[in-house]
Amino acid sequence: MASDSDSLTSTDDFAYQNPKASPPETSQDGLKFLTLNESENVVDGELALNQPVVGEGVNGQLVVEHDRGECELETEEPVAGEGVNGQLVADHDRGEGEPEIEEPVVGEGVNGQLVAEHDRGEGEPEIEEQVVGEGVNGQLVAEHDRGEGEHEIEEPVVGEDVNGQLVAEHARGEGEPEIEEQSSSSGPAAMAAVPEVGEVVREISSSVVVHRVNSELEVDAPSSPSSSGYAGERGSSSDSSASGIEEVNGDDIDEAVIPADHSVDAVSDSPSWVPGKRHINETLVYPCKDKCPNSEHNSLNWFTICRCLGNKDDASISWRKRKKHFFVLSNSGKPIYSRYGDEYKLAGFSATLQAIISFVENGGDQVKFVRAGKHQVVFLVKGPIYLVCISCTEESYEALRGQLELIYGQVAQMILILTKSVNRCFEKNPKYDMTPLLGGTDVVFSSLIHAFSWNPATLLHAYTCLPLAYPTRQAAGAILQDVADSGVLFAILMCRHKVVSLVGAQKASLHPDDMLLLSNFVLSSESFRTSESFSPICLPRYNPMAFLYAYVHYFDVDTYLMLLTTSSDAFYHLKDCRIRIEMVLLKSNVLSEVQRSMLDGGLRVEDLPVDPSPRPGSLSPHLGQDRLTTESPEIFKEACLGIGGPAGLWHFIYRSIYLDQYVSSEFSSPLNNSSQQKRLYRAYQKLYVSMHDKGTGPHKTQFRRDENYVLLCWVTQDFELYAAFDPLADKALAIKTCNRVCQWVRDVENEIFLLGASPFSW
Amino acid sequence: MFGCFEAVLSLCGRSESDNYRLRERIREGDSSIWESEDFIMGLSSTATTNEGIQLCIFDLRRGQHEGQELDKILFFFPADLSFSTQLSVIGLSEGLITFTRIFSPDAACEVIEAERHSHVFYQAEPDIWMVMVVEKNKDTEAIWRNDALQRVLKEVHSLFVMFHGSIRALLEKEPGGGVARSHLYSFVMDYLTDFLVAKKLHLPSFRDCLKERGTVQMLTVGREAAIEVQSLVRILESACPGNTACNSLVLFQDLLVSTTLSPDDTVNLFAYAVLRLTPRSLSHGTNSWSYLRKGSTASHVPTGSISDNSGSATEQSYTSHDTSPGRQGQRYHIPRPLQRDKWSKGKDGFLVTETWGAEVGSLIPATPTVWLQQTDERMYLCVFQQKYLTVILLIPVSSIINGEQGISMVKQLVLETASLNIFKVEERLSRGWGGGNAYHVSGYRYLLCDRDRNISRASPPGKVTTLTKDSLLALNKLREEVDVEKSRAKWDDPNHDKDLEICIRARNNAWVIARLTKGKELYMVLEKANETLLYASDAVEKFSNRYCNGTFSLD
Repeated sequence: MASDSDSLTSTDDFAYQNPKASPPETSQDGLKFLTLNESENVVDGELALNQPVVGEGVNGQLVVEHDRGECELETEEPVAGEGVNGQLVADHDRGEGEPEIEEPVVGEGVNGQLVAEHDRGEGEPEIEEQVVGEGVNGQLVAEHDRGEGEHEIEEPVVGEDVNGQLVAEHARGEGEPEIEEQSSSSGPAAMAAVPEVGEVVREISSSVVVHRVNSELEVDAPSSPSSSGYAGERGSSSDSSASGIEEVNGDDIDEAVIPADHSVDAVSDSPSWVPGKRHINETLVYPCKDKCPNSEHNSLNWFTICRCLGNKDDASISWRKRKKHFFVLSNSGKPIYSRYGDEYKLAGFSATLQAIISFVENGGDQVKFVRAGKHQVVFLVKGPIYLVCISCTEESYEALRGQLELIYGQVAQMILILTKSVNRCFEKNPKYDMTPLLGGTDVVFSSLIHAFSWNPATLLHAYTCLPLAYPTRQAAGAILQDVADSGVLFAILMCRHKVVSLVGAQKASLHPDDMLLLSNFVLSSESFRTSESFSPICLPRYNPMAFLYAYVHYFDVDTYLMLLTTSSDAFYHLKDCRIRIEMVLLKSNVLSEVQRSMLDGGLRVEDLPVDPSPRPGSLSPHLGQDRLTTESPEIFKEACLGIGGPAGLWHFIYRSIYLDQYVSSEFSSPLNNSSQQKRLYRAYQKLYVSMHDKGTGPHKTQFRRDENYVLLCWVTQDFELYAAFDPLADKALAIKTCNRVCQWVRDVENEIFLLGASPFSW
Repeated sequence: MFGCFEAVLSLCGRSESDNYRLRERIREGDSSIWESEDFIMGLSSTATTNEGIQLCIFDLRRGQHEGQELDKILFFFPADLSFSTQLSVIGLSEGLITFTRIFSPDAACEVIEAERHSHVFYQAEPDIWMVMVVEKNKDTEAIWRNDALQRVLKEVHSLFVMFHGSIRALLEKEPGGGVARSHLYSFVMDYLTDFLVAKKLHLPSFRDCLKERGTVQMLTVGREAAIEVQSLVRILESACPGNTACNSLVLFQDLLVSTTLSPDDTVNLFAYAVLRLTPRSLSHGTNSWSYLRKGSTASHVPTGSISDNSGSATEQSYTSHDTSPGRQGQRYHIPRPLQRDKWSKGKDGFLVTETWGAEVGSLIPATPTVWLQQTDERMYLCVFQQKYLTVILLIPVSSIINGEQGISMVKQLVLETASLNIFKVEERLSRGWGGGNAYHVSGYRYLLCDRDRNISRASPPGKVTTLTKDSLLALNKLREEVDVEKSRAKWDDPNHDKDLEICIRARNNAWVIARLTKGKELYMVLEKANETLLYASDAVEKFSNRYCNGTFSLD
């Protein structure tokens, strides 16, 4: 969906998830690139157009002129603050109720990333100027927030990267058509326009400036007739035939699985998952609009919330019926992120959550969770950030809290919230609106939230490796080690969410949670796929107070390399490293082995050796040995119920405690569809929480039988085994089978785990 | 309904002057608030030292207007807490009830778990809520199961309704709320004295995880004894005047032998009997094997002192209350059925109490009455005791025309016709009585519940105390887990009984086991078991075959 080979990256994946949406019209008429830097790019050959060369920002001077248009209206001065590393954080306050012109904000960051944010104006026509900023990581990112007004006009945002990559993001144009003039990005159809822009960009070479020309044109622009849910929801410009409502039926209310026409399959392992935020037009609707809670003053929101309870608005009902909500808000009650619905529409609700938290805090306590029937509301306070989950899934408090911790980690990773500057922002201005900082990152969160229902890493705090022949992994490890010795903090080669190899500089160890968040960030952000990138990231477990730089490069559609460094100007060095690594990997066939392993999959319960002889096994044919036969002796034939492995074994997860790694068997019959897999995952989650109770745990063994499964868990100092059997499985046989699984895993540990080279081993 | 929270927020978040203004408004309000406030003020002196626990009852239909928030409060313990604090507790509760209804309209807030407190909710009647706030202090004894706390609330409410009728009915009878408040106050305070140990309330903790409040414990009787009991019951109930339906309950020690009441009424009357009527409760003695009472505390505190302490404490508090220049005592007489040491055995073998006052113009104490849930009928409560046998006879009030005189006639008839049977039954049961440890199964520490019949049987408390703290904590945690799963299953499908088997080998190598099947539950701790899961399963199987008719056996 992104332009494949063009230098322009349309980050439509950030903004558009709804396949039904008709693409916005785009044009470049309003674009004018005013200021250029000399092109100092040393770009090699065919990569020239594809890949950003970063580091420019440091020496390149950014000059910006902004055209204020013909408007004589009152202007607001931009609010800009300099971030820790020269990243400019531009904060536009919202203009409410009055026509206004916001000034562009321009800032220069370390690595030439442009960060521009627009807040929205509410209620009245407004003109937003585009914002241009140079940010940290060599990508131009311009984000528009929405105006909620009668006529809303979004300005084009075009940014050119140092070497010609153009990235434009519209924070909130998710799937629904919206009025956009002259946008050079946004949506699949924008691609048509992209090459043209690209040409412009190429002509101009390494411009860092983006411009909007005149605003009055846009003011007069008519609403797109096709505007539906989204546009309607933003204001009164069109009828709000909320398109999300029709989807509310049966299981759709569940974790919102909408069939996707163009799902980004590499982002997710589950076919039914669509990245990005859904059902934006759902919200808790306040009929008494004039009295709706306003986050400005929070103490009396109960009143309104309560009063609005009677409202049976469709969108509101469907929103309430969602099985699992996640909210991130600031301690002043400003919404930052909501899984469903529009953050801004949820301002009142968000203020209510804040009121609950601070009410309990005023009593010298901290609220952990509230339970009501099947529902649980879980709270997590992290400094100025509040996180809340409202769920009617059967997940326990501990599990949900762990998920909130990870979401917080993701927030921290992406916007460096823990760095002093943002904290200072909050201290100075508690009403500081952080939402724009997260603009366009919905997809990262939704991908993480999706992972909570399938990825054992989110539960076990361990990572998993792609099964590979030992020499193959060794070869990959060796070249990564080479690189690590030359000043790279961590070198990680991954295939989707599985690690191929991983090397850390001396004494540096990477926490599995950090890896999870990092790979989720990379996998869910489409822009990483199309070009090499250099991006600042924070590893909350490694050091929550500092951030690192990640060089990310995809070798193929699934396999990518991440090089982490502390140095902000290491881009060229890392690029060189990557080229070296790529050469070696190609030469030693690692990449093709990785591809094969992806196709072949991992351990299968059907292949569980029946003979527990301690021969060095091999797990699948591509590793040079025949797949072990499933011929079972009599005892298993009787117990085997025709599906799954011996003794009714359906699935298992084995976690090595020393290695911080786990291996999970492939799903096979009868765990065929994603809902069955999710159910099993939740059952494991329950088992894990039960075994690891803070007060009484960890327990040693647990046997659990219910209508769905027999589950066995075995925790020792070295490993943890979680196994799921047919609910009618025989206890004695199940125990034997578990022993066999452990033996099997140990037999093939060379192939399924990353041994020795792991930074955790020392 | 919502005004309260506003007020609370203003009390807590706003200035002192706002606070003052609110109070002023309250003072200017109607006289009923005056009275109630006065009433609450009057109770402040009665508080014991219980910072750790708060218990409140409030009505969401009351006090909906600004300035009248205090009118919501029907009961608050401790009563001497400042109004702002009381309102703050109720405001948070009300706020969260409202909030959770956004997502869960059918089941509002059940529990708020915070770092330092748990708030346990129970909706006793429509819009009438009971909330218990317990503090989790450093003391690791303070670990509860929410369901166990909720059962405390449920029990006190059911008992209250049994004696006084529903809270709503009292409020409707006297909209000012004074009657309801004074009834609740004396009743709940009397109830709480049972948890009082050395002036501190000891609520059911993890040490009580092998007990189940709100269930009945049965005596197992042989066939012949059963026949004798049956004929006794027939004779008893035929002693009632005319052909009205009487009901009876027969207890031996603290165990139920027979009942003709509905399960719910049985639970309530049984609970009351064990609290105040059985020989053990009459004599203050707290045998270690007895039902829930004192089981947990018996292990650390000499039992005699508990009741002494609590008895005198209550006496004191009520003296001060009664002598206060309150109008309450004069305006309405409040029977206090849970007041300690108010029942005694009369010469004729019937138990008497003065707590219901006396009939006008006579010195004969009035016979207590109770409401039966099932028939919605008021019954006279006549209790006869022969050694360890307690016979409770319930006679419809409507069937007795001439009050106490009629009751005496019934009593007389009972003595004439049934005393021989009572004597024989008592003797037979005493002979077969295995003592306090009758239901001990060596090697096992268990709790067996039949949810359909509200019956439970458990290892004797004295034996449970031999378990290590770790085992008890592990079982408590497991029970909490099972509680959550059960309630979830109930929401999903109320007619479907959860089928579940969990065996955990805990850190200390004890096996902690929960089995649920067909409405029956078995919880078990095996401390000296072999390490294999199969061994533990076998042990359960044996127990099931031997003591549960194979309910929990696999085949």
